Amino acid sequence: MTNKMDVWQGTLALMVLKTLETMGPLHGYGIARRIEQTSGDLLAVRYGTLYPALLKLVQEGSISVKWGVSDNNRRAKYYALTRAGKKQLENEARQWGQTTAIIARFFAPSEQDL
Amino acid sequence: MKAIRAFLYRLSGLFDGQRKDRELEEELEGHLQMQIRDNIRAGMTPEQARRDALLKCGGLEQAKEAYRDRRGPQALETTLRDLRHAFRLLSRSPAFTLVAVLSLALGVGANTAIFTLLDQMVLRRLPVKHPEQLQMIWTTGPILGSNQGSRASSYPMYQDFQQRAPAFSYVFCRYYTPLSISLGNQTERVTGELVSGNYFQALGIGPALGRVFSPGEDDRVYKGHPAVVLSYPYWVARFGADAAVLGQKILVNNYPMVVVGVSAAGFSGVDPVRSPQIRIPIQMKPLMTPASDNLGDRRRQWVQIFARRKRGYTMQSAQASLQPLLSEILRAELESPALRGISKRDRDRFLARKVLTESAANGYSSLPTSYSRAMVALMCMVFVVLLIACFNVASLLIARAAARQKELAMRLAIGASRGQLLRQLLMESAVLAVVGGAMGLLLSVVMVRGLLRFLPTNGMLATLRAEPDWRILAFNTALAIGTTLLFGLAPAWQALKVDLWCTLKEAAGSVGGNRGSVRLRKSLVTAQVAFSFLLVAGALLFVKTLLNLKEMNSGFRDIDNLITFQIDPARSGYSLPRLKAFYQQVLESVRSLPEVKSASYAWIQVLSGREADWDFMIEGHPAEDRDTQAYVNGLSPGYWRTMGVPLLEGRDFEDSDVGGRPKVAIVNRKFASDFFGYQSPIGRHIGMGTLLREKPDTEIVGLVEDSLYEGPRQGVRRQVFFPFPQMNQPVATTFYVRTSTDSNRMFDTLRRKVMGLDATMPIYEMKTLEDQLDETLGTERLSATLSVAFGALATLLAAVGLYGVMALTVARRTREIGLRMALGARQGALLWMVMKEAFGLLGIGLALGIPCAYLLGRYVSSQLFGVVAADLGTAAVASITLTAVAAGAALVPARRASTVDPVQALRRE
Repeated sequence: MTNKMDVWQGTLALMVLKTLETMGPLHGYGIARRIEQTSGDLLAVRYGTLYPALLKLVQEGSISVKWGVSDNNRRAKYYALTRAGKKQLENEARQWGQTTAIIARFFAPSEQDL
Repeated sequence: MKAIRAFLYRLSGLFDGQRKDRELEEELEGHLQMQIRDNIRAGMTPEQARRDALLKCGGLEQAKEAYRDRRGPQALETTLRDLRHAFRLLSRSPAFTLVAVLSLALGVGANTAIFTLLDQMVLRRLPVKHPEQLQMIWTTGPILGSNQGSRASSYPMYQDFQQRAPAFSYVFCRYYTPLSISLGNQTERVTGELVSGNYFQALGIGPALGRVFSPGEDDRVYKGHPAVVLSYPYWVARFGADAAVLGQKILVNNYPMVVVGVSAAGFSGVDPVRSPQIRIPIQMKPLMTPASDNLGDRRRQWVQIFARRKRGYTMQSAQASLQPLLSEILRAELESPALRGISKRDRDRFLARKVLTESAANGYSSLPTSYSRAMVALMCMVFVVLLIACFNVASLLIARAAARQKELAMRLAIGASRGQLLRQLLMESAVLAVVGGAMGLLLSVVMVRGLLRFLPTNGMLATLRAEPDWRILAFNTALAIGTTLLFGLAPAWQALKVDLWCTLKEAAGSVGGNRGSVRLRKSLVTAQVAFSFLLVAGALLFVKTLLNLKEMNSGFRDIDNLITFQIDPARSGYSLPRLKAFYQQVLESVRSLPEVKSASYAWIQVLSGREADWDFMIEGHPAEDRDTQAYVNGLSPGYWRTMGVPLLEGRDFEDSDVGGRPKVAIVNRKFASDFFGYQSPIGRHIGMGTLLREKPDTEIVGLVEDSLYEGPRQGVRRQVFFPFPQMNQPVATTFYVRTSTDSNRMFDTLRRKVMGLDATMPIYEMKTLEDQLDETLGTERLSATLSVAFGALATLLAAVGLYGVMALTVARRTREIGLRMALGARQGALLWMVMKEAFGLLGIGLALGIPCAYLLGRYVSSQLFGVVAADLGTAAVASITLTAVAAGAALVPARRASTVDPVQALRRE
């Protein structure tokens, strides 16, 4: 089996939101594939993690859900970003940027090193 | 905001779960199919594509589970699961569940019942403005006159206090009396209160309709205020809450009066257990109690005085400020003609009278104080029962947790979280407590009803509600739940802290739990034994008291065949001569019945707690020497024969002993021996009052054997009897009828006889004299019955507790016992080994219980009769009872220990 990482808890929501922002309404499978692709197939999204995360976002009102028809003619749930979700994405993206920047500083060689 | 939205969403997840499950399945299936299709497109065989997709997507069932967890409100869902689990576990050990639930139910139920009544009778504050400022005022010492009711004062003294007491913003008075009301043709008896004009103002109570009394309108003219204020409940019950009642004319004691208002809803007066139905200005007293006009008489005490304290005074300083005023009043009273010429000794005693006060924030209860004391004692006892019950449940829970230690360790080992296990254990305790509490509620309803039947009736307790008090129930249930949770949690915590490996590995030790839990259970059992001793000893004291009182010779013969009833024609407007004639008619009519052996009437009902006492002048005994007080009664001829009391000397009263004829009296043996020693009292003279200027004018014509007066507790009094027609106070009369057949069948016949003479005449309190005695002993009966019930309950609970602990100890020591047997220990020795431990616990419990029981006995000593608090017999009987019960409880596990098969025990893992 390939050495794929399970997606980290907490970051999945952000990935879902970003995916929906870029791709527009999408069904669960589509979201999972898109995340895997974007990660360069380094991440594996199992539905045991994906669907509870989607439900949480629906419950919080960040995304909405509608039944639609998938490209293989099956009934499928389509998820779309809501206005609240957009705002949440902006916030979290900014926070994420800050967090990574801070973490990065710890690992970047600096003039005050030891 | 987001959290709330999410929560609401999750709540909705509780419903329609099946449809949502189907949708999820569909969604996941779609996901899988798309993955398979993509895999095929990427060049896999369908077989491979499916396998790869399943691997990639992860476990289907886990996904569903995770999704469902997220869907519903998590806490609620797991709680429900724990609840189901708890019910399953509890139903699997029905004996444990039954004992625990019953213990809690009995404890909570009995407590709620007792506290509900006590709260209403003693503890609750009056529903009036600033009840904490209210104070009751009365005086002690010789009156040199007559007294009626407890804590009574004369009306002029009330007026003095009202006008001159500096510490009070209001001083008001009341007099409780039954009245009869006529509306149209109907006459009915109601409870009434004569009140001073400022009564309502002082209490801060307004009208619900019309007006209430005011000092300006209703307290000015002697006999001049024919106004009635109805109580709210009476207005609703009798007049259907009809506003047209205002201005309506009604006859009160045959005197025309007008309804002027209805007092506010929720106001019941200053007596929490005896609430009047109507109130009348006190200036109407002469018209309301015919033939006794006491308003201006300083030598007759009958009103009860209450007052509202001004700011800046304490109870003590207010009381102190009254004493100089009282002294002044008394000095002035001594100058009055009525007291001129009294002896120096009486004068000094009179001037030494003291004023007393007491907070009336809770009102003044007309139930004898003995009721509240008995109630407090019962309250302590029942609280102890609740404690024992809680200890039992605690002990059971500890044992259960100890027994489950291995199971818990196993569950921990295979991956349950400590939190989850803890939650489940707590849930089990909570279920026990809640079910126990609910059953306690049901029980308390039944018990309050039962208790109310023990209390004296005659319209007195109309205001006591029979519903259990919710606050008290809540408190008791909270206590039960608290104990259960605490003791459910503690062992659970302990069990979860243990080293898994050791517990799983451990063999015999796991049966009984660790040493700590055993020690805890042993102390609980010791406490239970101590408490039980307390209750059993208390119960014995009360039972002995009741028996002593019941067995006391009343002096009356066959009191179960003696019917008593009362009529009060004066209240129906009978004049004095007509009234006396009417009594005679009733007597003749009743005597004409073939079943009636004899009949008579008396002024004061015996064995009912009522009394009248006077000071006497006695020929040959200077008044200053000694106390000449004696208890009096007025009798018709034939009284002694009816009551079955032997006439020792002289003669009974005759029909010719009426007013205008020479005054005569009969005395009892105690009176005669007190004043005349061995000499015959016949022919001696006595006189009412202690004033020397009058010559004793009443000749003693008879001597009778002693009999009881107020009741057994008061014992035999010094008594003087007068012919009823020669008394000047023809008030309510009690008839006594001795029958030859079953008394209970005669009630209707007698009623019809009296009705035949006057159809509107109310007859009340018809019963046998034995019933009367039982009623008088109501407190004692209540205390005895309840304390026995509590004692038995406590002993039973303690026995269960002791059995549990001993069984546990034996289980823990099975291997050791087996070893001892293998080494040659005899059965008897092993039996004794276990019993010794049980008796050790019992001994410590008794050592703690005996001093506590002594203190309790001291507290209730005023309630006891013919038995002292430190009664050795009682202590011995209680100890023996408990020892026997404890031995019984310990014998079962002890026998089990002595019959252990050594081979089995040693092999046991």
